[in-house]
Amino acid sequence: MKEPFEPTAYAGLHNPFVIIGWNGDTGKVAQRATSYLIRKLSGSHFATIEPTGFFPLEGVSVDENCIQFPESIFYTCRRKDLLFFQSDQPENDHYRFLNTFFETAEQDGMINELYTINGMISQKAHTAPRRILSVFNSAELKDMLMTYDLDGLTWEGAPALSSFLLWMAWKKGIPGLSLWIEVPFYLASVPDFQAIKLILSFFNQRFNLEIDLDDINKETEEQNEKLETARNENPEVNKYLGLLESGLGLNDEIKIKLTRDVYSYLKNKT
Amino acid sequence: MAIRLYAEPKLMNPIMIVGWPGIGNIGIITIDTLCEITGAEEFGEIESIYFFSPKKVIIRSGLLETLEFPKNKFFHTRLEKNDVIFFIGEEQPKKSIASGYAEGEEAYRMANLVIDVAVKFGCRRIYTSGAAVSYIHHTIKSKVWAVPNMKHLIREVKQYPNTVLMSHIENRAGRGFIAGLNGLLLGVAKKRGLEGICLMGEIPIYFQGLPIPYPAASRSVLEVFSTILGIPIDFSGFDELYRDVEIQIEDIYHQIPAEVKHQLDRLKESMREKQRELEPLTDENRKKLWDEIANFLKGDTGDEGAV
Repeated sequence: MKEPFEPTAYAGLHNPFVIIGWNGDTGKVAQRATSYLIRKLSGSHFATIEPTGFFPLEGVSVDENCIQFPESIFYTCRRKDLLFFQSDQPENDHYRFLNTFFETAEQDGMINELYTINGMISQKAHTAPRRILSVFNSAELKDMLMTYDLDGLTWEGAPALSSFLLWMAWKKGIPGLSLWIEVPFYLASVPDFQAIKLILSFFNQRFNLEIDLDDINKETEEQNEKLETARNENPEVNKYLGLLESGLGLNDEIKIKLTRDVYSYLKNKT
Repeated sequence: MAIRLYAEPKLMNPIMIVGWPGIGNIGIITIDTLCEITGAEEFGEIESIYFFSPKKVIIRSGLLETLEFPKNKFFHTRLEKNDVIFFIGEEQPKKSIASGYAEGEEAYRMANLVIDVAVKFGCRRIYTSGAAVSYIHHTIKSKVWAVPNMKHLIREVKQYPNTVLMSHIENRAGRGFIAGLNGLLLGVAKKRGLEGICLMGEIPIYFQGLPIPYPAASRSVLEVFSTILGIPIDFSGFDELYRDVEIQIEDIYHQIPAEVKHQLDRLKESMREKQRELEPLTDENRKKLWDEIANFLKGDTGDEGAV
């Protein structure tokens, strides 16, 4: 029987640290941050998980005018003993998918630590400081990372795929951390560079990556400038952002309007 | 062995153009017409037995003569700029008769087989064609929605005539979904490093459920292919072939109740003359109107017999 994953190279890692980013997340934080790290660390393609059985494959979605296709790709960075997994979230058979993930990731030895990156919708304005909320599956890892600026998340409800993954890691004795970065709701469908920068800074520090984040800083500044111009040119945008900054909530209709206005503004000015 | 090649032509700078049936048969009519006008010759197939149930049996005097399956054929033609491989699939592989489009492992396998042939003959680019269900009136010329599978192709598709990107379509913000193999194929092509562009001709939303072709949209897509391939297309034969269908479409339109038709005519005017003052029609009302019309036009086609 054909393996559900296809190794394309030798991983060459020993007890790797694994970083997981799901494509299409809120603010495109995970997607952009993992792509950025893979590029900056010259990550090489190691294996893919085949989409059949996990995705409906009844067509393709279109985003930013381009056809998208479900991808589940592993990249390695031997220099830092890092393994990246960048993937669309499967729609079916999550348990088998996650088992396939572990089977592939642990080909050359047990995972050392596991991190997932996630964007999380926030009702705050983009001018407020973003927080990174954390979910650990191990008290030891939580203690070890207590010097990082992380806020513990409290939640009771439907689990995300990252939580399922974290639970499976716990069952296997792998310490792990899910990072949830706040993204203002009106930036949920575009890359939120401020949030992306924050998560990159976390990994820079955690693994001594020494990556120069100048380009992300520049993109963050540009995005903030565009938002500032939107405020200056559109009084409604300014008014609603002002209300958010004062800690006041907006009703759903106004949220949708603000999101549309900001989206069209950011897109048109790109 | 699912691919059978009867010949292995040596090709120069080849591209592949692919079509499966879908709404209004827009893609399949387009590719069929291109095959015919370029004199393309069949050179291979994907064996149907691995994907489809038989569609027809021929029994004469108590003797089973043959069993027919939906065909999946490759054709080849040589043009001035390129060699072109056409692939026409008469049906999309699907899990059940009820599902309209290809899905799942079978669809993925079919897409990979088509791309195996593209790779074998050195194609770097694949085009597919299908329908874009749209809020247009049938007397308005169909535009062509162009969706590439790689970002660097956006600049090129913007140059095609009478073509729009998803981001230019109202309320879409560059997003959408392409159902079935005409989209899936280009996703798989992307995975395997091949460029792909899907060209979808607009069909009015009120005709999407009808079991009749919509040649006007195919005509628009053909005009785009004329530019891409650098070949002039004489549409006189095409127009003649589909004249009856156009009459049928008009007949169906005339069966629509007068009140609804009046609303549609208002929309037609608003499309033609955006600047003219009209009574306001909200998005919600417009959607309701189109849904009413679509429901009105949907008919029961009945079951065919089986032996």
